[in-house]
Amino acid sequence: MPAFAWEWTVMQVRLEGVVKRFKTVEAMAGVSLTIREGEFFTLLGPSGCGKTTTLRVIAGFYDPDAGAVYFGETPMNGVPPADRGIGIVFQNYALWPHMTVRENVAYGLRIKRVPSSEIEPRVHAALRQVGLEGLEDRTPGQLSGGQQQRVAVARALVLNPRVLLLDEPLSNLDAKVRARLRSEIRRLQQDLRITTIYVTHDQEEALVLSDRIAVMDAGRVLQIGTPVDLYEHPATLFVADFIGTNNLVPGTVADVADGMAALRTPAGLWRGVVVGSLAPGAEAVAAIRPENLVLDEGAGPADVSFRARVVLTQYLGNLVRYELEAGPGVTLRVDVSDPKSHRYVPPGQDVAVGFRASSAQIFPADTASHLDPLEGARR
Amino acid sequence: MTPPAVAAASAPAVTRRVRVPALVWASPIYLFLALFILFPLYRLFVDAVTTEGGQFTLAYVADFLRDPFYRQALVNSLILSFGTVVGCIAVGLLAAFLLVRYDFWGRSTFGYLTMLPIIMPPLVGIMGLVFVLGRAGTVNVLLMDYLGLRRPINFIYGWHGVLLAMVMHYFPLITLNLVDGLSKLDASLEEAAEAMGSRGLRKMRDIVLPLVTPGFVSGATLVFILAFADFATPLVVGLQNLIASQAYLNIVQFVDRRLFKMGIVIGALMAIMAIIFLVVAQRIVTQREYAVLSYRPVERQPLRGAARFLAPLFFIVVLTIAFMPYLGVMLAAFGRAWSLTPFPTSFTLRHLDAVLHLTPIYVINTIRWSAAAVAIILAVGVPLGWILARSNLPGRGAMDSIVTLVLALPGTAIGIAYIRGFHFPLLGIILSRVWIIMPLVLAVRRMPYTVRATFASLLGMHRSMEESAASVGASGLRIFKDITMPQIWRGVLAGALFSLMFVMQEAAATILVFLPGWETMTIGIFTYYTSGTFGQAAALGFVLILLCAGTLYAAYHLTGARMGGLFGSGGG
Repeated sequence: MPAFAWEWTVMQVRLEGVVKRFKTVEAMAGVSLTIREGEFFTLLGPSGCGKTTTLRVIAGFYDPDAGAVYFGETPMNGVPPADRGIGIVFQNYALWPHMTVRENVAYGLRIKRVPSSEIEPRVHAALRQVGLEGLEDRTPGQLSGGQQQRVAVARALVLNPRVLLLDEPLSNLDAKVRARLRSEIRRLQQDLRITTIYVTHDQEEALVLSDRIAVMDAGRVLQIGTPVDLYEHPATLFVADFIGTNNLVPGTVADVADGMAALRTPAGLWRGVVVGSLAPGAEAVAAIRPENLVLDEGAGPADVSFRARVVLTQYLGNLVRYELEAGPGVTLRVDVSDPKSHRYVPPGQDVAVGFRASSAQIFPADTASHLDPLEGARR
Repeated sequence: MTPPAVAAASAPAVTRRVRVPALVWASPIYLFLALFILFPLYRLFVDAVTTEGGQFTLAYVADFLRDPFYRQALVNSLILSFGTVVGCIAVGLLAAFLLVRYDFWGRSTFGYLTMLPIIMPPLVGIMGLVFVLGRAGTVNVLLMDYLGLRRPINFIYGWHGVLLAMVMHYFPLITLNLVDGLSKLDASLEEAAEAMGSRGLRKMRDIVLPLVTPGFVSGATLVFILAFADFATPLVVGLQNLIASQAYLNIVQFVDRRLFKMGIVIGALMAIMAIIFLVVAQRIVTQREYAVLSYRPVERQPLRGAARFLAPLFFIVVLTIAFMPYLGVMLAAFGRAWSLTPFPTSFTLRHLDAVLHLTPIYVINTIRWSAAAVAIILAVGVPLGWILARSNLPGRGAMDSIVTLVLALPGTAIGIAYIRGFHFPLLGIILSRVWIIMPLVLAVRRMPYTVRATFASLLGMHRSMEESAASVGASGLRIFKDITMPQIWRGVLAGALFSLMFVMQEAAATILVFLPGWETMTIGIFTYYTSGTFGQAAALGFVLILLCAGTLYAAYHLTGARMGGLFGSGGG
């Protein structure tokens, strides 16, 4: 911990039925969230889903058209950003290019009329926090992308904010720097235990960083949960598709009993856990993750089995990935996680495939518009 | 992967084909710059410090510096230019902020109309202003007739008049540069400041203004240099003790050889001062230029309360004054025997007929010289822009400086330099007695717009497009014709149209260089006006405005809206 004593007031953030419209578009269509004290909370969704708008409403850059934002028990509607006790890091960092690193970080303290004797140690402490000592006199143009990002974090933290807001802070960095900064941000947040709200479209980033995640689409929150919740128990087809990789196979419900359903698919009769409400005869979609599909070699007790043809085999070191054709229009991805004890199946061969019914989920097809994973990106 | 292998295989062949001829075909460009820009300037400076017999002497410079009249004129010019800059900043800054940041009644219309004063050739502008605001102009006659004023109000004769005319004419240069700079600012830069409590004027001072400094300084420098070099506006409203006016008056009189020499010294001095201003401005601009990409422009906010009415009112007042010269020129061009009434009592096409049919020489000459000048500009300016943007030919930095310098050099200085430079036989030709000197001086003076437009268009086009053409075996010229030209022609043409517009407006250099029979419309206006034939002067002005407006309209259509960069003195 730094020599300078950080005084954090941990704050809960609550949104109640917030609606925000831009002309005719409803960017937030009634968003309710409670972000707990000291929590790392991520707003996740494709571009245009309303996550950045939500962050900007929390920051106070936008006033909600309906609903309310609370910090603790204090309503925040109409309170300007500067009076909310937030620190914000923008996607492009928004460092002022005409100021040095020191001036950038110190600017907020000057505005708040912090005594000048206090400014230098606080700037120093903030820069040390992000590992940037010694670069005080550089200008942003002389820094790498990763360094700029750290300056932006230091600038946000130096004011001892109650809530830290991060808007896709890693999206402009290359993969290696991104991975390193990701863990630094998480460590920093855990050291400081500051309530942090993080916006990203990268589901992997969200899973790695967050205590809890809210998945958003079309201005609505679809599901709030821990990374494990979202991955293992997606509440909607969209979440199942958006978080991690899922094989989605459409079909017609043959039978529903005890929370399980049988689905007639082009790959045969499949069984899985019902999510939502389903009736026999209804259109539905089965979701099964690549690691839950088992090829005949590693056969265990499978509730569902069928045959498929290998189209593509990819060796990835820690796993072997197959692309299978299991009936007209049904392409499945299978990950075999232990290549050493696995007999490599070349393309063109037929294999037996199986899975446990409890590892598959069956969703109503009315959300089928989300089946196309690219759709979100296009919107 | 195969593509890199292909590129690697053909790259040496392509480089060989292109590089050797590059210097060869570029040599006429070097020669042009040396002969028609550097040489006359060199002659101007040499003449200022040599006697008639060719002896080096500082006597003339000392004469100039000792003469209290000239010293006063220099001080006057500096004060006037500074005042013009201050005035232009006040009007231009407010206009730019309102246009970019706020929404109010008539905003986009006002945005277009702000360009209005630029179409007006300066000479025509001040003449039109006299018709409306002069002693017997529309406003004074109205005041005397209806409000019982005994004596006319002096709106424009004197310092305040020059200042008013210049501010109204030049403020759009500040506005255009600032609009450009402001719309490039990313919203998050300001939001980051707001999140810390930096608002209003504080935010403006600490964040916004420092970030638009380059555009701001470019615009202000250009205004300063233009105001410093303008000799016609002060002369029309009766001010002579300014440095530019003295240069002009001393050169056009052919009686006193000492005065003539003073004219040369002043011309050289003005050139040096322009260079100094430019260097200082460039230094500020390069120090403060940041590559900030805008992800999200700042949203326009609707104005509330009194500001809702004050903003349109501000534009209406400014644009009314800016529009007055147009009104004056129109009335005088079509009025029959207009005197002592607020508006002409009857209208006639006689003046227009006079300048279009009876004495069409001015219009014909302007069209002739302009066409030839634009041909020269395209022939030299486009290759020059290409050299600056794409080649690694030697001397690019110097060429870039020359282009920028020409934009800043007072027309009077270039005119004097041409008179002195081409007064002697060169390869058996005394160039100053051949008509080509007119399009030459026009082309040299207005070429920078085309060079910059070409340069900017080329920068906006990724090199890989040309490289991929080279990788399939296209030769240099072929690439330029098939790949480069189709993508940049719009920008180049817009630049050429800007050059054309300013060529048609040019008066300062040509009025010194022309021989009888070569008179352009601007010279015609000056001649008619100073000899009291206001109707013909106004009719010529009217035709010139139409030509300029048509040219600007075409340029505007080709480029969309972003033209601020073309007017800056920095960057590029």
